[in-house]
Amino acid sequence: MSAFFEVSSLDVNIGDTSILRNISIEFRESEVTALLGHNGSGKSTLLKVLARQMSPTAGQVSLLGTSVRTTGARAFARMVGYLPQHPPGTDGLTVRELVALGRYPWRGPLGRYNDEDHGLIDQAIADTGLDHFQHRSVDTLSGGERQRAWIAMLLAQQTRCLLLDEPISALDVKHQVETLRLVHRLAEERELTVIVVLHDVDLAARFCDRLVALETGQLIADGNPRDIMDPRVLETIYGVPMGVMERAPGQWVSYVH
Amino acid sequence: MYAEASGLPASRPAIPAKLPVAAVVLWFGALIASSAPWFNELDIGALLSAFWTFDPNNYSSVLAHYSWAPRVSIAILIGCGLGLAGAVTQQILGNPLASPTTLGVEAGGQFGITVATLFAPGLLAFSPDLAAIAGGLLAIGMVIALTWRLGFSPVTVILAGLVITFFLGAMNMAFLLLKGEWLGNLFIWGAGSLVQNNWGPFMELWPRVTLLAILMLLLMRPLQLLQLGQTSASALGARVGLIRALALLLVVLMTATIVSRVGVVAFVGLAAPVLARLLGARTLGNRLLWGTLMGGGLLLLADTLAHWASTWGDGSLVPTGTTTALIGGPVILLALQSFRNTHHMPGQESGPAGFLPRRRSPVLVTGIITALLFITVIVSMGWAPGLDGWNWTAIPQWDQAWVWRGPRLLAAMLAGVALGLAGTLIQRMTGNPMGSPEMLGISGGAALVMVLIVLSGAEVSRPGQLGAATLGAAGALGLLILLARRHRFAGNQLLLGGLALYVFMDAGLRLVMASGGTVASQLLNWMYGSTWLISESEALGLLGFMVLVSGLLLLIVRPLTILPLGDTAASSLGLSVARARLLLLLLAAVLTASATVVIGPLSFVGLIAPHLARVLGQQTVGRQLIVAALVGGLLLAVADYLSRIVVFPNQLPAGLLAALVGGVYFLWGLSRHGPHLTTPE
Repeated sequence: MSAFFEVSSLDVNIGDTSILRNISIEFRESEVTALLGHNGSGKSTLLKVLARQMSPTAGQVSLLGTSVRTTGARAFARMVGYLPQHPPGTDGLTVRELVALGRYPWRGPLGRYNDEDHGLIDQAIADTGLDHFQHRSVDTLSGGERQRAWIAMLLAQQTRCLLLDEPISALDVKHQVETLRLVHRLAEERELTVIVVLHDVDLAARFCDRLVALETGQLIADGNPRDIMDPRVLETIYGVPMGVMERAPGQWVSYVH
Repeated sequence: MYAEASGLPASRPAIPAKLPVAAVVLWFGALIASSAPWFNELDIGALLSAFWTFDPNNYSSVLAHYSWAPRVSIAILIGCGLGLAGAVTQQILGNPLASPTTLGVEAGGQFGITVATLFAPGLLAFSPDLAAIAGGLLAIGMVIALTWRLGFSPVTVILAGLVITFFLGAMNMAFLLLKGEWLGNLFIWGAGSLVQNNWGPFMELWPRVTLLAILMLLLMRPLQLLQLGQTSASALGARVGLIRALALLLVVLMTATIVSRVGVVAFVGLAAPVLARLLGARTLGNRLLWGTLMGGGLLLLADTLAHWASTWGDGSLVPTGTTTALIGGPVILLALQSFRNTHHMPGQESGPAGFLPRRRSPVLVTGIITALLFITVIVSMGWAPGLDGWNWTAIPQWDQAWVWRGPRLLAAMLAGVALGLAGTLIQRMTGNPMGSPEMLGISGGAALVMVLIVLSGAEVSRPGQLGAATLGAAGALGLLILLARRHRFAGNQLLLGGLALYVFMDAGLRLVMASGGTVASQLLNWMYGSTWLISESEALGLLGFMVLVSGLLLLIVRPLTILPLGDTAASSLGLSVARARLLLLLLAAVLTASATVVIGPLSFVGLIAPHLARVLGQQTVGRQLIVAALVGGLLLAVADYLSRIVVFPNQLPAGLLAALVGGVYFLWGLSRHGPHLTTPE
C-alpha cells in the first residue's frame, strides 16, 4: 500500500500555544485510521490540517506525493472530503439537495449535472440507507440520520479519502455502531482512505485497521488494534490505569481500574 | 436496520401554491391600482401602448407615455433589482434579515452622493454611479471590519449595519446643518422619488441592472454551497472568501447604481426576499426568482401608494421611500414571528474563543473618570468664549452663569448616565455587545411620537413633548414585550423587533424631511439632541428620577449575571427568567425614554459607554454598570460643552457631536478590541 497522506515534521501554533509538535506520519491508501487522545491532544487540529482547513506553522503535508499547498481548491475537494465536528444547520435543504451539493467539486459553478451525477447521488443515498428520507428536510431528521445525510454528501463527492471529525460523539450507542459500521463497509466497498477522530477506544479497535494516538501535540502510539489494546499503551494515552479484556478475536473491552 | 418510512414524502416537495398566487395578486393589484386614474381618460389598449408609443394629438396619451409608463417601468425594474440583491445578500450572510438597507449600503451610497455634491460636483456630472459605489463600498467595508472578529453572526451583522446607517446619517446631517443651502434637493432625492418625465433614466438603468442580475445568477451554485457553512463549503472546493466578496461587490454595484439614480428606496431589498421565504420559497433558486418578482410588485405597489398620497395630500410630495418603509416594517415583524431560531442560522460560525479579559481595579478607574467629570463640569461652567474672546467665570459668579450653562450640562450628564446604564442592561441581557437602547427601538418609539406631533402641526409645550416621548417609548416597549412574549424575551428577537420600530421611525422622518420648511429643521434639532432647550426644572426633575431608578438597579445586578448563562441554567438556579427579563426591560425602557427626550434618539452613548467600561477592565455586572454610567455622563457632558463652543456663537446639537465622535470611536474600538467583547451566550 502506498502513502496517501504524508506528513513530515508538522508544527501548529495558535498564538503562543503549541498545538502540534513535530508530527511525522504517513496514512496509507484504503486504510481506516482512528485518531485517539484525550481532549486538547491535537487530534482535531491534525485532521483540520489534513483537510486544509488550517495551515501549519511549519512542516509539510503532501497528498499522493505532491504538496497540498499547490493543489487547487476543487481539485483537492475531488480527492479529500471532510466532515466537521458540528455540521451547521441547513436551512430547509432536503436530503437529496444536500447530497447533490457534493457534486460541486466536479461540476463547478456552471457545469450541468448529467446522468452520471444523478446516478452517483442516488447511489450515495442508497448506500447510506436514506432512500425514504431523501425528500425530507435535513433539519427535521434525528441526529443519526442527519449524520448519515452528511456522510452521503461526502460519498457523492467521490473522494478517495474521508476525514471525519468525531462523527459519533453526539449519537446514542445504536447509532454510533451503525455509523461506524457504515463507514467501515463503505471504506471496504469503495476502497476509501478514512481518517476518523474517535473518543471510544473500544469502537475504534473494533472498526479501524490502525489506531494513532496523540498526547499534548505529539505522537505517542501508532499501530494495529492488537498493539494498542494493551494496558500499558492505553495508560500512556489516557493517563489513567486501564485494563483490557479480549472477549473474542478482534473484540476488546477496555476498562478503568 | 433504519427507521420506519411510513408517512414520508414520496416526491420532491413542490413550491406551495400560495407563492405564485400571492405574486400574481400583488402584481395585478399594483398594476391596476397604478393605472386606475387613467381609465377615465384612455382605454386599456391605449394605456398599454403608452409603453412604446403615444398619440401626439391626445394630451393624456402624451402624459401617459412620458410620465406614467416610465414610472411604472422604473419601479418594476428597480424593485426586481433590489429584490434580487436582497435575496443574494441573505444567502451570502446566511441571514434572513440582511439586505442592502440593513447593511448600510444604501446609506453609504447616499453619503457618497452628498459628499460628491459638496466637494466634487464635477464627478457627479461625469458619473453619479462612481460616488454612490464608493460610498456603498465604504459602508459595507466598515460593516465587515466591525463584524470580522465577532464571527459574522446574523444579528451582529445587522446591528453593525444599523450603526453604520446611523453614523453615515449623522454625517449627512452634520453637512446639512453646516451647509444646508446646498443640499435642499438632496433631501427629496434621499427619500427616494420615482417621479419621471421621460424615458431617459429607465433606458440608462435597464442595461446595468440586467447585466448585474445575470452576473449574480452566474454565482448561484457557489452561493448555494455557502448554506453549508464556511468549513463544509471550503471542503467542497469553494473559495468561500472569494465568492462572498464577489457577490457582495455585485450587490453593492446594483444598489449603488439604483441609489444614484432614484435615491434611497429602503426595505424593498429586505421585504421582497423575506416575503418570498415566508410564502414558502425554499431553495436558493426559488428564493432568487420569487424574491425578484416580489420586489418588482412591492415597489410598484409602494410607488402607487406614494403617488396617491401625494395627489390627495394637496400636492405635497410623498416620497416612495416613505411608503416602502411603511411596507417594510410589517414584513420584518412577520419575519420576527416566523424565524424561530435565528441563532442557529446556517453558515454561522461560532466566534473565536475569547481569552481571559483583563481586569482593572474599579476604584482606580472610577476615580479617574469621576475626576475627569469634575474637570469637565468646572471647565464647562467657567471657561467659555464670549463676544470679546475666551474668558473665565470665577466660581462666585456661577450662580449667574447657572441659568445658561447649568441645566443643559446637568441634563446632558444625566442623559449620558441613563444611556450608559440602559446600554449595559441591554447588552448583558441580550448577550450581544452590539445591543443598545438605540438598537432596541425604544429611542425610535419616542422619536416616532415626536415626528407624529410635528406632522400633525399641533403646538405642544416642552413638558407635553416629554410626556409624549415617554408614552412613545413605553408604547414601543409594550409592543416589543407583546411580540417577544412567545420567545420568552430572548435577546435576538427583541433586537429584530427594535429594527422594525426603527423602520417606522425612518418612514416618518423621510416624510418630514421631504416636506421641508421650519418643521423639518425643528425636528432635526430635536432628533440630534439639542440640549439648549432644557429648562432648570426639567433638569432637576431628571436628577430626582435618576436617583430613584439607581436604587432599583441594585436589585437586578445578580439576575443580570445569571441570565447570560442561558434560560435553562438560569431557571435551574432558581431565577424566574421571564419575570427577571420583564423587570430589566422596564428599567431599560424608562432609562432610555428619559434620556431620549434630552439628547434625541440617535446618539451612540448607550452603545459605547458599556463597551468602554469593558475595555477599561470592568467585567462584572455591578462594576460595568457603575463605570458605564460615569463614562456615559462624561461623554455627553463633553459633547454638550463642545456643542456650545465649536461654532460659537452658533450651536451644534450635542447629540450629533456625540454620535459623530462616538461612531468614530466605535468603529476603531470594536475592530481592535473585538475578541474581548464576545460575551458567552
